[in-house]
Amino acid sequence: MKFELHSLKTAHQIAFKAAVVSGLALATALPMTSLAQADVLKVAQGRDPQNLDPIDTFTLSWGSFGSNIFDGLVTRDEQIKLSPGLATSWEFLEEGKRIRFSLRKGVKFHNGEPFNADAVKFTFDRLLGEEGKAGPQRANYTSIGSVEVIDAHTVDFHMAKPDPVIITKLSGYGAMIVPPKYMAEVGPEAFDKKPVGTGPFKVASYTPGVDLKLERFDDYWNGTAKMEGVQVRFIAEPSTRMAEIMSGGIDISLNIPTTSIDALKQNDNVELHAVDGPRVNIFRLNPAKFITKDIRVRKAINMAIDKKMIVQALLSGYGTPINSAQGSKSFGFNPDLETYEYNPEKARQLLKEAGIKPGTEIALDYRSNRDLDREVGTVVASYLQAVGLNLKLRPHEASIYSSEIIYKGNTGEMFAFGWGGWTFDFDNTAYLLYHTGERFNPYIKDEKLDALLEAQRQTYDTEKRREGLQAVAKYAHEQAFEVPLFNIAALYAVGKHVEGFVAAPDDRLRFMNVSVKR
Amino acid sequence: MANEHSQIEGQVKRSSFRQFEFVAGLMLCGTIGMLALISPLLFPDGGQSVNLLARLMPPLQSSEYPLGADPLGRDILTRIIVGGRVSFTVGILSALGAVTLGTVIGLFAGYYRGFADALLMRFADIQLALPFILLAITIIAIFGPGLDRIIILMIVSQWVQYARLVRGSVLSLREREFVQAARSYGLANSKIIFRHILPNALGPLIILMTLNVANNILLESSLTFLGLGVDPRVASWGGMLAEGRNYAQSAWWVTVFPGLAIMMTVLGLNMLGDWLRDNLDPLGRTRL
Repeated sequence: MKFELHSLKTAHQIAFKAAVVSGLALATALPMTSLAQADVLKVAQGRDPQNLDPIDTFTLSWGSFGSNIFDGLVTRDEQIKLSPGLATSWEFLEEGKRIRFSLRKGVKFHNGEPFNADAVKFTFDRLLGEEGKAGPQRANYTSIGSVEVIDAHTVDFHMAKPDPVIITKLSGYGAMIVPPKYMAEVGPEAFDKKPVGTGPFKVASYTPGVDLKLERFDDYWNGTAKMEGVQVRFIAEPSTRMAEIMSGGIDISLNIPTTSIDALKQNDNVELHAVDGPRVNIFRLNPAKFITKDIRVRKAINMAIDKKMIVQALLSGYGTPINSAQGSKSFGFNPDLETYEYNPEKARQLLKEAGIKPGTEIALDYRSNRDLDREVGTVVASYLQAVGLNLKLRPHEASIYSSEIIYKGNTGEMFAFGWGGWTFDFDNTAYLLYHTGERFNPYIKDEKLDALLEAQRQTYDTEKRREGLQAVAKYAHEQAFEVPLFNIAALYAVGKHVEGFVAAPDDRLRFMNVSVKR
Repeated sequence: MANEHSQIEGQVKRSSFRQFEFVAGLMLCGTIGMLALISPLLFPDGGQSVNLLARLMPPLQSSEYPLGADPLGRDILTRIIVGGRVSFTVGILSALGAVTLGTVIGLFAGYYRGFADALLMRFADIQLALPFILLAITIIAIFGPGLDRIIILMIVSQWVQYARLVRGSVLSLREREFVQAARSYGLANSKIIFRHILPNALGPLIILMTLNVANNILLESSLTFLGLGVDPRVASWGGMLAEGRNYAQSAWWVTVFPGLAIMMTVLGLNMLGDWLRDNLDPLGRTRL
C-alpha cells in the first residue's frame, strides 16, 4: 500500500518533471525561431492604412511602405530627386499635350506577370475610371486624358490639361503600376489585402491593425534587398511605440512624437534621424468672422508670437520657423519673403488701433489627439495674453475636427492645421488653403488669389510657376491669413544596429539597402 | 481569563490604530482640500504661467520650481496645489453623489423588492449597457462642456455600481434574524432600513467609493482631453499625468508628483473610510 502510494507519487513527479523539461525545451526553442527571424527588419508606424491598394487611400501610412511593394514610371529618391523608374525615358511632344514614355524591358511583377505597356494603360484606366472615382487618388491625376499603347514598351499620355507637377506625381501613390492579369484573377477586394507590384518586396501577409509582412522579391529589376523580409507593425499608441524602439523590440520607428525627442536622445540604443520634411504647422486665422476679420488684428497676432522660441523649446530645434505655409524644400518657397517680426509692443499698438479691448477672448480649435498643438497652443496663449488677448483652447474629437469644425466653418478665431504635400510643391498646399470653395478653406473668397492660383497651373515653365507660387505666398503673407509656425523635421528613431538607413523627407522609406546587425 | 485579557488588549490596540488612521486621514485630506481651497489666493495665475526657458527643469534646482517644471516650464508644485481644485472636487463630489443616489436606490429596491425592484434594476442594466464615452459625448454635446456637467455625468454613469452592491447586501440582510426581530417589534420600514440594514451594508460601499475617487480623478482628465471638460490649460492632476506621459522616460518628475498627490488623497480617503466603517459598523461598536 505504502509502496504503491510512493510509486504513484513518483509517477506524478516524473510527469511533472517531463512537463518542466519539455516546457524548458519549448522556451529555448522560442529564441531559436526568433534567431531564424533575425533577417527580418522590424518597422513600426502609428497608423494602419487599412487598405493596400495604391488608389484606395491617401495617407502617409501607406506611403511609408508603398515604395517597397510598387514602382512608378518615375522614381523619386530620398533626396527628392526624380529619376527613371519603370520608364527609362520620357519626352514632351506637341508642347506638352502628349508625353511619350519608353518602358523598361524585362521587368516582372511578383506573380511572374510581365510589365509592359498594357499594364501601364490598365493602371491609369483603372485610376481614372469607375474604380478610381471611389478613391481619393483620382483627383490628383485628372490632368491625364488617356493613355495610348504605341507598342509593347512605349506609351503616350494624352494630357487633358497642362499639369506641371505630373512627372513628380507619377513617382508615388496613385500612379503605382499594377498588374492587369492578377487583378482580373483575384478581383479588387483581394487586391486590397494582398496586392502585387514590381517592387523589391512582395506582400507575404497582412493582418489589419496588427502588421504587414513583406518578403524579399528575388527577381527585382534593380538589385536585391539585403533583408529577407520586413515586418511593418501598426502601433497606434505613441508611448508604446517609443517603448518598443527604446527596448529594441523594433528596429525603426516612424511617427516620432516631438514630445519624445528628449527621451530618444538620451537612449543609448537609438539614433534619431532628422531631415527637413514637407510638413508645416500653422494656426489659421478666420478672416470672415470675429475680430480676426480686421487685418490689423491678424497682423498683431502674428507679431505677438515668438516662433523661434517655440521651435527651440518644443521641437528641441527639430524644425524651422516659416514665413508661409511651406518649408524650404517646397517648390514655391521664397527665401526673401520677410516674416512678421516678434514685436509685442507693435502688436499691442495694432490691437489698440483696431479698437480691441484688453482681455478680449478668442478661441483656438485643434484636434484633441495632437499633443503638439496643445503645447504650442498653450504657449501661444501666454504670448497672446501679453498683448491683451485671452486665448481659450478648444480641443475636438479627432474624427470630427475636419468634417464638423473646418469644413462647415465652425472654427473660432484661430484653428490649428498641419499639412505636408508629398509632391513638395506649394500648389498642393496653397490651392487647398486659399482657393474659393475648397473643402479645407471655409472662409477665404478672394478673386485675386484665385486668379494667381489658377495661372500657375496653366504653364510648364518652371520659372514662371515658381514666380506664380511665390506671389501666392506673398499675398497670403500680406493678408496674414494664418500664423505660419514651423516646418517640422521628418523624424525617425533607428536602432544603432541598423545599417544603410536613409531618412526620407516624405515618410516614404525604402528598405532595400537596409540591413540589421544583431 | 488571560485569553480574554489579551483579546481586549488587541481590541484596544486596534482601536488606537483606528484613532491614528482617522487623524492621519483627516490631516491628509484636510491639508490637500484646504490648499486647493485657498490656492486662488496663493497663486493668482492658476499655475498657468509658461516659461519656455525653464522647460523640464528637474526638481530642487531652483527655488522658483521646487518640484521642477513641466514641458512648458510651468511650476509643478503650483499646478499640483491648484490642480487639487478640479481633481478633488470632481473626484469627491462625483463619488459622494453616486454613492448617495446608488445607495438609496439599492436600499429601496432590495428591501421592497417587487415591481419597483425589477424596474430599477432594468434601468441599471440599460445604464451599464451604455458606453461611458458615448454618454459623455452626448450629454456634453447637448449641455456644453463644464466641470459641473462632468460631475453629473459621473454620477449618472456610476450610481449603478453602488445600487447593485447595496441591493445585493440588502437581499441577504433583510432575511437575517435581527432584521426579522426588528420587524416583529413593529419598527417602521425606514428605521429598519437606515438603522439596521444600511450600517451593515456600508463596508464594501466605502471601499468601492474610495476606489472610484481615484478613477474619477483620472477620468476627468480623459474627458478634458476629448475636449469635453474645462480649458485644457487649467491644471488638474489627471491632466498633468496625461500630459507628462510622453515625458515619463526623460523627466520623471512631471508625472511622479501629481501621481503622488492622487495617491495621498486616495490613501487619506481610505483611512477616513476605514474609520467611518468601523464606527458605523454595529458589530465593531458593540465589541468595545
